[in-house]
This record gives sequence, structure tokens and C-alpha cells, in this order.
Amino acid sequence: MSSDAPGVGEPPLLEPADPPVQEEPFFSRPLGKIFIIWLAMTTVGVLIGIFVPHHVMPTLLSHEATDVWRTIVLFTILAAPVAALVYSVAAYSLIAWRHRGNQDEPPEDGPPLRGNNMVTGVWLATSTVLVLVLLAWGLSVYSSDETSHPGTLVVDVTGQQWLWTFSYPGTGVNTRSLVLPINRPVEFDVTSVDVTHGFWPVALGVQVDANPGVVTVIRASPDKLGNFTVRCSQLCGLYHSFMYAPGAVVTKAKFSQWLQSQGASTTTAQAAALITKQ
Amino acid sequence: MTTDLAPALLEDTHLGPHAGGLYRRQNIWTGLAAGIGLGFVGWLVSHAALQGSNWGTDMVVTVTMVGWVVGFNVGVGTFNGPLRWMLGHDQSHEDELYAAGVGQGRKRYYKFCTDHKVVGTQYLALVIVLFAIGGTLAMLMRTQLITPHTDFLSANAYNAIVSVHGMCMIIATIIMVTGPFTNFIMPIMIGAKDMAFPRLNAMAFWVVFSAIPPLLATFFLGGVDAGWTTYAPLSVQAPPAMDAFSIALIVFAISVTVSGANTIVTILTMRAKGMTFGRLPIFTWASLIGAALSIYAMPALLIAFTSMISDRVTGTSFFVATQGGTGWLWENAFWIFGHPEVYIILIPPVGAMMEVAVTFARKPLFGYKVTVAGFVAISALSIMVWAHHMFTTGWAPTLAGPFMVTTEIISIPTGIIFLCLIGTLWKGRIWTRLPMYFVYLFLWNFIIGGVTGIYLSDTPADEYFHGDMFVTAHFHYTLLGGAMIAATAGLCYWFPKITGKVLNERIGKTAFWMIAIGIQVTYFGMFWEGFEGMPRRVAFYDPTFQPANDLATGGAYLLMLGWIVLLYAGINSVRNGPNATANPWHAKTLEWKVPTPVPLENFLVDPVVTSDPYGYGQPEPVGPPVVLPPHPDRELVPNISSDNPPAGGGE
Repeated sequence: MSSDAPGVGEPPLLEPADPPVQEEPFFSRPLGKIFIIWLAMTTVGVLIGIFVPHHVMPTLLSHEATDVWRTIVLFTILAAPVAALVYSVAAYSLIAWRHRGNQDEPPEDGPPLRGNNMVTGVWLATSTVLVLVLLAWGLSVYSSDETSHPGTLVVDVTGQQWLWTFSYPGTGVNTRSLVLPINRPVEFDVTSVDVTHGFWPVALGVQVDANPGVVTVIRASPDKLGNFTVRCSQLCGLYHSFMYAPGAVVTKAKFSQWLQSQGASTTTAQAAALITKQ
Repeated sequence: MTTDLAPALLEDTHLGPHAGGLYRRQNIWTGLAAGIGLGFVGWLVSHAALQGSNWGTDMVVTVTMVGWVVGFNVGVGTFNGPLRWMLGHDQSHEDELYAAGVGQGRKRYYKFCTDHKVVGTQYLALVIVLFAIGGTLAMLMRTQLITPHTDFLSANAYNAIVSVHGMCMIIATIIMVTGPFTNFIMPIMIGAKDMAFPRLNAMAFWVVFSAIPPLLATFFLGGVDAGWTTYAPLSVQAPPAMDAFSIALIVFAISVTVSGANTIVTILTMRAKGMTFGRLPIFTWASLIGAALSIYAMPALLIAFTSMISDRVTGTSFFVATQGGTGWLWENAFWIFGHPEVYIILIPPVGAMMEVAVTFARKPLFGYKVTVAGFVAISALSIMVWAHHMFTTGWAPTLAGPFMVTTEIISIPTGIIFLCLIGTLWKGRIWTRLPMYFVYLFLWNFIIGGVTGIYLSDTPADEYFHGDMFVTAHFHYTLLGGAMIAATAGLCYWFPKITGKVLNERIGKTAFWMIAIGIQVTYFGMFWEGFEGMPRRVAFYDPTFQPANDLATGGAYLLMLGWIVLLYAGINSVRNGPNATANPWHAKTLEWKVPTPVPLENFLVDPVVTSDPYGYGQPEPVGPPVVLPPHPDRELVPNISSDNPPAGGGE
């Protein structure tokens, strides 16, 4: 409210008035100081978001896993200013507004501020916009993940206490390790023969439960060569800890060789391996 | 004012030799004896009748546990009132006074006692015991995880501990504020003499008490190996421990529903003259909303576990896919309870902590109405988000989008709660006593818990993180770092009112720093494990996860030690601390206007409320004095009402 601002437009008093109070520069007012703290904390948060996650995640081998990483970075960058705002006000209140006298007696009361419609409105609007951005991002990534592509390789995944079996329909291959060709979308048709398991090829960034009696579907697009581990993400009884299987993303030629080594005939193996995007 | 106003008259009332009737003979020991007795009879009969049948063991365990629960409650006096009604006469006024603990000194804490302050204190003791059990189990798990293949716990023991740690902590956190503080403090806050249904109140406590032995008995019945969520069909096949586990949860659901109904009726009908909804302290609002939510959520838990017992004992197949059921039904029923449940845990402590923030910032609550609206919005949304726990189950993929929307929208009212907290700190006079330390720790932790929750609400990201340690770290940041720390702020704040002693803040602050650092170290370790891809609930793990696990284990030891030091500070203060004054914090809510220790029925005269309790920084009232109604048999007239007319506010 500009009319409340001290020293502006007031008529001279009878006694010689003090020189008009110079408005303090922004950075020495509470808001300015909090802004500096906020900026520093936001910067730290953004830097953490950009540089930390991929150091602590395994090597990401699929398009979906890279999307997960992008999501984490984006969400951290968006959350950093909000978190920093709360932290900077809290930190500043401890520095500047702390009662430093006798701690056995309460300080005198603070100002009776019971709310501020403008601040609340701005806060609400900002958080709504942020949530809409998160939702737009998340929903679009999700729908692109869910789209099925032509030329998809289908792998049947079966969980049981406490191991995984992978079979490649049409090839007769039935194995305990998950080998996938690079740059070819894959669809996992997942089921269980006993209790609920969680099919989680970690570095592919997707997972779905293996439920008895139903087939659940999840898709991934491996786009990097490398090894990974298939884990079980639902507690499934005594040896849940030991329910994991080796996995690898390999070149198409190697995939064909591997299928043959697992007992597929040469023609089916080549056919299975060589279907490309149509 | 006020310490010299005690002792109140009711407590000096001399009761006749037969006052209380059956209550005179009943206490926790008769309850234990009757419970063990009836449990044994149940075991004997069912064992003899069902020996040799396929489902015999499950039936025997169920009957034994039900026998225990019923026997205990009969023995302790839960059903005295209804039984006497059935016999055609109600309890006399003297009986009621006896049941409220008049003339029994400390023994009333071991009995069926209708005084809401005794019930609150009993809840507090139970919560501490539950946290001690749950914490010890957590330490066992963290010790097992020091190395990838520690030879400390067997795989089966580890799974059993995982399940009971989870459920024990869920029970403890659901009642950690609604038990002690909603019972002890809230009625005084609104100017009531007791809860609306004192017998029901005592019943809620003893019923939840009787749920604990079945929960712990699971260790001796083969162990529940399905986690606290007990996903079917694994749980349907689990050892007989699962029957005891289900009975414990059914009984717990009854207790929480009953106490929730009691809280709602109390707040709606027992408010003092002038205590309008616009003047309710924010903790009362939080209790009301939390109670409403528990009325909604607990029946789902009850139905889920009743069906579970039915599947296991009578051969129905709600959750067994090979016989026409589905595990997804269990998951839905469980999470329809399970997601509102986290807000049943969270909202009351946050309300309690806001009272703390107001008192120690010496300012009115920032945005009172907005805060209440925020709580209401969180509750309303929280019943529409349960399937975000099921993004990766394969159930209804088309619903992933809608549930993602509701889940992320809930962060808007949650953000409002943060705004109101920092708004309250804004330009306050921050009095950094021990309770206020925990308010700042809440702010720090809950932001981290909230932000990591946003990752999990995003379906594609959840397909990476679901079922791994990241989730564990996230909900420990919200429930331990958020709710439990907020409850601790409330505990330190109301400690002088509840115990009548001053809390030793020097020891308390040592504990605070251990807890604060312990939380960060432990759960940063778990976030790290989660990013690396370590599943939850594993007793043995890949060696690459070891550094993160060792960090978490180290932090967990420090955290547990911090809680032990805090407990020591509490016990030490109760034993040796100086007596507390009636209003050590110079706070303005009504519970600080009554003497310490609080007399039976709290108020010597009925209070009249003339303003909300947040009149900090406003001039003393100059309006007409409050006229107190005449009171026939009590002479003492304390200064009851809050002082100031509302200032018009900034709304």
C-alpha cells in the first residue's frame, strides 16, 4: 500500500521534521536478504538435480530409463525454488527474528498478521502452474511410453518363487537370463505361477507386477549396450532377496547368435532378430 | 493465575465403600488373566474340535486370539456399562465418579478409567512402548544390512520383522497424536469437561491395547512374511501368524473408528459457550478432520482383514486367483484404507505443531481459514489417490493418468500448509525453546519428503522407483521426519501440562541434534540405495549397495540413540524435574488457562469464549468484562476466556 509508505507526501510538521526516512536498499531489507538466501539455495538445488542423479543411478540402457532421469532432473529443478523459499524464510527467521534475551520468559508479541490474501493467491497460483507443468510432462511421457511400436519383440516373463524365466515366442527359447537386441522395442508379457512378484529390469526404467492368473504388459526401448539386473520388487516370501536374473542389451547379430546357442534354429533366430522397424 | 486453584473439589469427594461396583475389582491384571484364560479356553475347544482338518491351525489361532481380545476387555471392564444396561440398571453417579478415577491415585492409570486425561496418558505410554518395539525391530533390520550377507537374521526372521516393524509403526503413528493429545488436550482446548463418550473413550484405548499381543504373537506363529501390506496371495498362504496379524488389525480398526466417532461428536457438541467454529484452535480442526478421515478409511481395513481371515480359515477365495479371486482386490481394499491413513497420521500432528509455531513465534496463525481449507482439501483428495500405490501392478493402466492427476493436485493444499507455517514465522519473535526446534526440523524434513513424493506420483518415474528403497526413504521422511517430528514438537510443548513437570531442555536439545542428524544420514543412505536400484524388504543384497547401506545403518543407530536420550530426558524430568506452572509458554489456548495438574472435569466453572486463541500482538481487551455464570457448588472462579476480540484479520 503506497499510502502507508513513510515520509511520502506528508505535509511538513510544526517542528522541523527528521530528514525523510531513506528507504533502505532492497538487499538490506528482510525481503532482499531472504532473496539472496533463496537464490543461493535454489542454485544448489538445481545443481544437485542436474549433476547428482545420473551418478547414483546405474547406467541407463533404454529410452524409458532416460526419460526417468529427465523427469527427476526436471522435477528437482522445479521443486528447488519452492523448497528454497521455505528454507530461506525459515533460516532468515532464525537469524534475524530470533529472541535473544532471557530464554525463560517469552519475548514480546510479534505483529498481529493474520494472513495476506495477495501472498496466498500468488502462492496458490504458482503452485497450481507448477503442478500443471509436472502433469503435462508426466502424462505426455507416460503416453509415449505406453504406445506400442511395429516390429516389437515380445518376451514372455514368468515369475515364480524365487526365479525368473524368459521365453521368446516362436523360437522355443526358454532361459533364465534376459537378452535383448539394441534399438528394437520390446514388450514384456508378465505373469506368475504362484504369488505376486515385481518384474523390474532396473536399468530399463520400467517395472510391472507379475500376478498369478493374469498377463500384465510393459514396454521398453533399449538403446544402449550393456548389462543389467532383473530384480523382484514385491516381497514374495522367504528368498525374495535372491530373486534376480542377469540381463543384457546386445547387438542384433549377437542376439541372433545367442538365440541359436539357446537352441533356436538358425532361421527362426535370424527371423526373430532381424525384424526391424517397418 | 492458577496453580493455587487446585485441588479441584471432585477429587476430594469421598466415595462410599461400594462405589464403582465391579470396577473396584478390575484392572489391567484381571484383564490379562481373563484374556489369557478365555484365549486358552478358545484354544482348547477349537483344538479338540478341529484337530486333523486342513484349515484347523488357522481356525485355532483365530479363535484363540478372539478369545484373548474378548477376555481381556471383559476382564479390564470395557463392557461393564453395556452389561449393566442389559441387566436393567445404569451406573449411579458414584459409580461414574469411581470409574473416572476419583480417589484411586496412580492406580487409575492401570484401570478402565473414563477421565479423558487418564486415557490420554495411557495412550502416551502405549505409543512410547510401540515406538520402542518398532524401533528395536528397525535396529535389527539395519544391523542385518551392514554387510551384503550378514549372518545375523534368517531370511524368515527378517521378513517377519519387516512386517511387524511396519504395522507396529503404523499403529503407533496413527494413535500418537489422536491418542495422547486429542484425548488429553483437545477437550480442554474447546472448553469441555471430558470427551462426549467417556466410556467409549476408555474402551478405544483398552481395545487397541488388546491388539498388541496378537501382533507380537506373530513372531511365535511362524512370522508374517508378506510385509505390512500383506499382498495376497502370499499372505493367504502365510503361516498362522497371519491370522493373529489380521485379528490385531481388525481390533485396531474398531478402536480407531470408535475413537474417531468420539472425537467428532465431542468437537461438534461439547464446545464451550462462544467457541464457534471460527475460534476453534487449529489443532482441534486437525483432530476433527483426521477423525473424519479415519471414520472413512478404517472400515476398509476392517473389511480387508475380515476377508483375509475368511480366505484363510473358511476357504473363500476373495484374493486367490486360481479360485476366481484376485490379489488386486486386496491391493485396492488395502490402499483405500492405506492412503487416507497417511493423512490420518499426518494432519493431527501438523495441527499440533501449528499451535507450537504460533506460541513460539508469538504471532497469530497465518491464514487460519486457508489452513483449515487446506486440511479439508487434503482429506477430500486423499480418498481419491489410493491407486498411485498400484501404478506398477498392471491393474487398470488407463487409470494411471487420473490417479497421477489427483495425486499431484494434493501437493497444492499441502503447499498451503507450508505457506501458513512460514507466514506464521514471518516477522515473528522466534522463541527457540525445545518444541520450536522440532518445528524447524519438520519444515526441513517434510519438504524433502514432499519433493521426493512428487517423483513417485509421476507414473513413468514410479516405474523405476516403485518397490525400492527410494520409496522407503520417502515415506520415512514424511511419516517419521514429518509426522513424528511434529508430534514430538507437540509432546515437548504439552509435556508440562500432561506430566506437571518441566522438561529438561538441555538433555532434550542433545537428543534433538542426534535425531535431526540421524534422520538425514539414515534416509539419505536409503535414497542412495533407491537410486542404485536396491529393492525394499531384502535381507541380502548386491555388494554394490553396501556403502549406501552402511551409511543408513550408521545413521539409524544415531537416530535410535537420539530417541533413547529424549525418552531419558522425559523420564528424568517426570521423576526429578521441577513442577510446571499452569502456563509456562504464556500461550493463549484454553488448556493453559486451567491449573496444572488439571483437575477432574477440567474447569471449575464453565468457560465462556470471546475470541479466537491467537490474539498475539493485540492490545488487551477494553470491552465489557466476561460475566461468568453462577455455579452452585464451586467457589473458585478462574479467569477463563481468551482475552481479545478478533482483530478483523487480513483475510
